[in-house]
Amino acid sequence: MLDFLSSTPQSLGYAGMEFPPIIVSANEDNVIVRAELPGIKVGDLDVQVANDILTIKGERKPNVDNSKVTYLRRERPYGTFARSIVLPERVGVEGVLASYKNGVLIVTLPKAAESRPKQVVIKKY
Amino acid sequence: MEKKEHPAIEKKKISPDKCVVTGKGDWYFPLSDIYETPDNFAILIDMPGVGIENMTVDMQDNELVINGEVSQETYTYEKVVYNEYNIGHYHRHFAVSDAINRDKIEAKMSDGVLAIILPKAEHVKPRKIIVKVE
Repeated sequence: MLDFLSSTPQSLGYAGMEFPPIIVSANEDNVIVRAELPGIKVGDLDVQVANDILTIKGERKPNVDNSKVTYLRRERPYGTFARSIVLPERVGVEGVLASYKNGVLIVTLPKAAESRPKQVVIKKY
Repeated sequence: MEKKEHPAIEKKKISPDKCVVTGKGDWYFPLSDIYETPDNFAILIDMPGVGIENMTVDMQDNELVINGEVSQETYTYEKVVYNEYNIGHYHRHFAVSDAINRDKIEAKMSDGVLAIILPKAEHVKPRKIIVKVE
């Protein structure tokens, strides 16, 4: 049998926290939101932007039929989730890009023109 | 400025006394499920951010050792505004007994989840014993 005591995480993972965990970062042109969402089909994910609020909704489905297998250990959370965050800056809704690779969702939101830095021309009289 | 609002989210860091961990960066325990079917045991491990090329699954003596390395250089040109999870490599190991047919262990990676199928050895599979009439 498998030795369950050989390597055990002490925290119970995602219990009691918001899912998915996110990292929000920004560069000059974009606000980038990353979310750790392993094991989700792209079709089960729903990403929406309205004003400056980003909503990530989805469902993580077990990839095996639960009634046919016997679970010996369960740490990974399943089910539906929804999370809305207020973005740090105004974004343009048009050019939002989202990609999903290796279980990480990356949403790239271009900053709205009014929140980008503007060069001020100094006039000399 | 890094803001940490949810201490519960922080992944469990592997301390050096638990196992030998070398190399750059932090190492974490990934979450895993283990289940049993009539023919196999299966382990599912969440390893978000690990590509198939950075994943190693080794059978060493009686241990199945799983390592996943994550590139940590993606944030060079960005300023992190809000941070809820840590990025690091993943390591986990499981002791494997004789009940598993070691030659036929398979591993698959999809969407950041590693699935390892451990087929049961013939001698532990349930089988019917026919009762003969004398």
